Amino acid sequence: MKNMDEISRNMELARAYVPFQIMNQVFNQKEALRRGTLFPELYKPYTPNCRDENGRRNYYE
Amino acid sequence: MEGEIIMSREQLNLLLEIMEVSFVLDETALYLNIHPNDERALRLHNDAASQYAQLMDMYQARYGLLRNEGISRFPWSYIDDPWPWDVNFNNF
Repeated sequence: MKNMDEISRNMELARAYVPFQIMNQVFNQKEALRRGTLFPELYKPYTPNCRDENGRRNYYE
Repeated sequence: MEGEIIMSREQLNLLLEIMEVSFVLDETALYLNIHPNDERALRLHNDAASQYAQLMDMYQARYGLLRNEGISRFPWSYIDDPWPWDVNFNNF
């Protein structure tokens, strides 16, 4: 069996990506500071025991 | 709260507004770094920048320097309380 170093040289385990953001609506100034972002699409609060639309947990205890 | 700095409601509101506008500037500037041709974002940034300049002028004329490159009355006002982190914003 090949060791991991040998495998890693030729194979990509995972790739990260960042989709290009296009500005749409923005929060007003007060809300932006309170939420920590000006952009509603980047507002992703972590709520205990909360699941996303696919039923996956978005919070790791 | 012990050690809490007392400041007038007017000063507090002005400081809070400066923090809000300043945060919008951070956000628009970061966005514009990768979207330099977004005219709407640039307008948003320029509006906030002009608002920020006005608010800073108003605050520093009334309450002393927030940033040490400003023009100070006598005596040097930059070291005066309160520092922004001395403010208790729990009432907002």
